[in-house]
Amino acid sequence: MRIQKKITGFMVLLLFFFSFVGSLVPSAHASDAKKTYVIGTDTTFAPFEFQDVNGDFVGIDIDLMKAIAKDQGFEVTIKSLGFNAALQALQSGNVDGVIAGMSITDERKQTFDFSDPYFDAGPTMGIKADNNTIKSYEDLRGKRVAVKTGTEGATFAASIKDKYGFTIATFDDSTQLVDDVKAGGSVAYFEDYPVLAYGVAQGNGMKTVTDKEAGGSYGFAVNKGKNQELLQMFNKGLANLKANGEYQKIRDKYLDETASAPKTKWEVITSSMPAFLKGMGWTLYYTIVSLFFAFIIGLIFGSMKVSHNKFLRGIATVFVDIFRGIPLLLLVSFVYFAIPQAFGFTMQVWLASIIALSLNAGAYVTEIIRGGIQSIDKGQMEAARSLGVPYGTAMRKIILPQAIKVMVPSFINQMVITLKDTSIMSVIGLVELMQSGKLVVARTYDTFTVYLVLAIMYLIVITILTKIADRLERRVSRG
Amino acid sequence: MDKVKVTGLKKSYGSNEVLKGIDMEVQEGEVVCVIGPSGSGKSTFLRCLNLLEEISAGKVVVDDHDLSNKGADLNKIRENIGMVFQHFNLFPHMSVLKNITFAPVELKKQTPAEAEKQALQLLERVGLADKANAYPASLSGGQKQRVAIARALAMNPDIMLFDEPTSALDPEMVGEVLGVMQDLAREGMTMIIVTHEMGFAREVGSRVIFMDGGYIVEEGTPEEVFGNPKHERTISFLEKVL
Repeated sequence: MRIQKKITGFMVLLLFFFSFVGSLVPSAHASDAKKTYVIGTDTTFAPFEFQDVNGDFVGIDIDLMKAIAKDQGFEVTIKSLGFNAALQALQSGNVDGVIAGMSITDERKQTFDFSDPYFDAGPTMGIKADNNTIKSYEDLRGKRVAVKTGTEGATFAASIKDKYGFTIATFDDSTQLVDDVKAGGSVAYFEDYPVLAYGVAQGNGMKTVTDKEAGGSYGFAVNKGKNQELLQMFNKGLANLKANGEYQKIRDKYLDETASAPKTKWEVITSSMPAFLKGMGWTLYYTIVSLFFAFIIGLIFGSMKVSHNKFLRGIATVFVDIFRGIPLLLLVSFVYFAIPQAFGFTMQVWLASIIALSLNAGAYVTEIIRGGIQSIDKGQMEAARSLGVPYGTAMRKIILPQAIKVMVPSFINQMVITLKDTSIMSVIGLVELMQSGKLVVARTYDTFTVYLVLAIMYLIVITILTKIADRLERRVSRG
Repeated sequence: MDKVKVTGLKKSYGSNEVLKGIDMEVQEGEVVCVIGPSGSGKSTFLRCLNLLEEISAGKVVVDDHDLSNKGADLNKIRENIGMVFQHFNLFPHMSVLKNITFAPVELKKQTPAEAEKQALQLLERVGLADKANAYPASLSGGQKQRVAIARALAMNPDIMLFDEPTSALDPEMVGEVLGVMQDLAREGMTMIIVTHEMGFAREVGSRVIFMDGGYIVEEGTPEEVFGNPKHERTISFLEKVL
């Protein structure tokens, strides 16, 4: 009876959560006298778009887009979709334009119409601020430099490496380049100018000694042949902003070294704490929702695993083998990237995350439930059946109440694992604690402080949850 | 009328045939003791009588219900066949009282109040009235087995099956359980008992069946089987255990 009440309470909580999420999904364009355009952008590409300490999206792209809209008298709704998703949305007409620090290339011109370039990128070299020995590319001889895969910086470094006689280390993430140089693995790094300049402006401990190389330019894009009036307004607005100095102000806001003094570690922590707490909230939410579905999945396949029907047992075994055998990182990549691409649909980040976490945890919960049920002496089932009690009733009233006591420690264990596993979802950009940390690192370049704070937060929350669960376990085992 | 009628009963586990063709009947009020060396198939035979073991071949009819028929309502038939296990199999998460009232209430045989009243009477009968609210873990082996008998009786069965009910007990507790069984026999309950207690079989049994190697080798009154065994295997078994 008491347990039933608890379950009901839990369901209510869950419904509440769902309605909460529902309210977060942006509603359709607000009707207004002015025309409203929906613009897609990337999630994190500082300084063009990123979340500030309040969790609001800011950056050169965002500020520029808003300033142009104001200048030209239209409204914009900016959707942070991720780079590839934004381009897909543009092609399918879900957004009217994309501004995402996107280089203008001939290949992209086949599909999109670009505005006048609004930013000249171009690779630039960065070195440690206290390094006085490197003054030009000549000084790189015999040393190693760091580059980010797929960037103009990487291409440029490769093109001059034989001439100047250095080697190259390739990384996936801008912050890793800085960390590698800080740690002394490489003496310098090549990065697109704005990204590098922004990092320096944030006080990441780097500096530039050489000029920016010639390179690509960023442009605003609309679908080929569509929304030409928007493109023209963008060009006109851009020209106006350049003329009246507004454009330079936006650039300086993000790229001028003197504009923002380097922050102390304590300032980094206090200014990011609201974002971290929000991130932790989401981590808990995804943990609870995923475990809820994992539990349902586990109950279904767990019952199948202990059934007498060979066919059902086989299905359950295949299910467990598949989802226990695939690494979670690969599983979520399948759900988010591979399957939608193969079948031509788009997948929401939060949905992909919940699906992957639920299937993964569901496979383990299935095994926990099977193990729990099978740990109960089969004499219990025989005694119940010999009294004329049907299988289902005996399972529910005799076997499961005993099995649950056996399962509880494993469930607690699974809860801790799933909570930590939510951090893996940051690879597809799910906003949870780990991702909140990555966003702050992208802004402040203070890897050590940020990741230390995250580690402590995970430890605190998991310790609290484990203590609560221990108490619950003791109560369950007392009956 | 035959309470139980078994014809040509066979049971195999894979290629291992445990029961090789059993024929027997039990009349109402009979107390049949099944004896024999371990591995002779006597427990398997007993478990076939309420289909805890599936039957490989043959026919088991209890109270005119054919259990071997695929369409038989096993739950209904089992309500009439009480069973007591070697290892008691009490439900550890339920009090003694709840153990006894669980099935009658769950199967809507009785209201909770009726079931409780009857359970207390049954506990009185097995000498454990003061243990109604205790949990199985706090009981001795002999007490557990008496509760298990009360639990089986709560469904008001007409037949009781006992599967080595005293084998797991310390010697000093065997008597209290056999005493309860003796009372039951005296009240006219139809009972089939797999046992190693030869004294009990001789004294209480109305018939003794000796099984070996998956067959019934010999059967008769206790006087016949114990006093004048005819078959060689019966003689050698009795020599070892008596």
